[in-house]
Amino acid sequence: MLQIDHLYKSFGAFQAVSDLTLHIPEGELFGFVGPNGAGKTTTICMVCGLTLPSAGNISIGGMDALKNRKEIRRKIGYVPDFFGVYDNLKVKEYMDFYGSMYQMSSREIAKISDDLLDLVNLSDKKEVFVDTLSRGMKQRLCVARALIHNPALLILDEPNSGLDPRARVEMKELLLNLKSMGKTIVISSHILSELSEMCSSIGIMDHGRLVASGPIDEMMESVLGSSELIITVDEGRETALRIVKESAKARMNSVGEHEIRISHTMTKSEIAKLIGTMIAQDVVVTGFHKQEGNLETLFMRVTEKEEDA
Amino acid sequence: MRLNPIVKKDIKVQSRSMKICWGVFSYELILALVFFLAMSMIQQQSRYSNGNIFASMVWLYPVLAVTQLVILGIVVPVRTASAISGEKERQTFDIMMTTSMMPFSVISGKVTTAIVQSMFYVVASMPVMALPFIIGGMPWSALFWFLAIALLVSLFSASIGVLCSSLCRKTISAVILSYVFYTMFFVATVLPIIVFAIFNIDMGYNTASSYSYAENIYLFLLLNPAVYLVEFFARIMVGESVVNEIAALGGMGKVGGPIRLVTTGYGWLIVSTILLLAVSFLFLWLAARRIDPIRKKGKKHGRGKVSNRAD
Repeated sequence: MLQIDHLYKSFGAFQAVSDLTLHIPEGELFGFVGPNGAGKTTTICMVCGLTLPSAGNISIGGMDALKNRKEIRRKIGYVPDFFGVYDNLKVKEYMDFYGSMYQMSSREIAKISDDLLDLVNLSDKKEVFVDTLSRGMKQRLCVARALIHNPALLILDEPNSGLDPRARVEMKELLLNLKSMGKTIVISSHILSELSEMCSSIGIMDHGRLVASGPIDEMMESVLGSSELIITVDEGRETALRIVKESAKARMNSVGEHEIRISHTMTKSEIAKLIGTMIAQDVVVTGFHKQEGNLETLFMRVTEKEEDA
Repeated sequence: MRLNPIVKKDIKVQSRSMKICWGVFSYELILALVFFLAMSMIQQQSRYSNGNIFASMVWLYPVLAVTQLVILGIVVPVRTASAISGEKERQTFDIMMTTSMMPFSVISGKVTTAIVQSMFYVVASMPVMALPFIIGGMPWSALFWFLAIALLVSLFSASIGVLCSSLCRKTISAVILSYVFYTMFFVATVLPIIVFAIFNIDMGYNTASSYSYAENIYLFLLLNPAVYLVEFFARIMVGESVVNEIAALGGMGKVGGPIRLVTTGYGWLIVSTILLLAVSFLFLWLAARRIDPIRKKGKKHGRGKVSNRAD
């Protein structure tokens, strides 16, 4: 859906984005991760046609973004990090205004805007003036506005900044809902915990460079190594240790009185089989869980590597 | 034909604000004051000259028309100066630029809104404006010409305002720049004539060849909105060309040339209208270029290669 090739952007001597190459397939919920000033917003602005790249190519849906500006604008829905609304304009009129900006007919706008306001839980606010809405409602309205022309690609720059916890949860649910509808979504944020719950793949930016990208699971595996499995046993600890040692995909990390920690590269079914073998050999397994690496650790590890380099 | 969505939205938003009510009220109040002042002067004059007061009421036409055009000339740049900078301040500009609206459509939408609002004021003034026509016996065609001139003044003022708005980030800077720009059209077009006059006097000669240069210099006045209005009202009220008179006073027009051509008949008004329209569209085009995010500063995109890159 989105293909970026060797993208550069400089502001005078400052290199904001450097040699960025990225591919985001259709239906993906992609997270752009990075500290402030990493170049996320600049990249997003270039994709949305708000900033001219110094060099490089951007194509959306196989179409050159710089050559086919008008067509590309129809494919993108953009939600900026900071945005304002017009005073004295009602929610329905706000949607109507942006719909007509895409040359949609009044009937089309009315139908789609009703569906979208329903989707973002604002259908009861149609006749309310936009500037009286809460920040979270405005954010959801902005997402609905960005979807009015049914874009294939939805780009959100820090959509959760300034939102209270409830509004964040609502926004997360909305984005997951949109993903399930087949939309390709690019979301930039530095709130990593939220991204890890939503995104299927991420790109980590630092100092204008894309330092790592790919599916979260694969990146965890390649950067943080194998994940840890913690098994709690009440009786038959020695038997359990023997079974683990016999397994080719598991390595002992530490052994406590009742707790065995192992590094592994096993699939879910292999883990189930291992536990099953233990139970079959009279080990009293009282519990087991996977200790997974989080996005914060991954981000720190990747950016540390970059700084060392 | 589809109405530009920006016009529809802006008019709706602004009509809901109390500003528009106060605006019309102030506009009508100023016109009423000017009307009473002019009426009392006409009355006094007719008392001394024993003339027909009703016939003198035709002079209300230029008085009220000029008052309105001056108000429009002052108000329209202020209104349009916030057209783009206001969107930037409100943080709605980026969203607008990611929609299917192209920069020129955005600019033309903003200018059309300003013109529609100006016409709203002008139409609201019609009851007062009708008096010289109904009582004074002014030909109704003069009303049509006034509306046409009001449109031109609004377009010209709006194009200056919108250009300045596209150049500035803050509305207040855009308003100041608009007035500077506007004043330049009044001053900068007269300045070459003043400089030439001083130069001519200082040098102490008055040859035929110096006149021919002077004739060309007078053409700068074609871009002066004040001269344009004076010429228009002189034509309407007394059927004479003021520019021709000025040129004759300065000893111009003896050797023919372009000034002779444009001061013949309605030549000055036609050429001046075309020039003012051309300048307005040039400003709108420049404003559209200026707000186009990927055509900024004439930079070219280095496709596939690292251009403009800091090493």
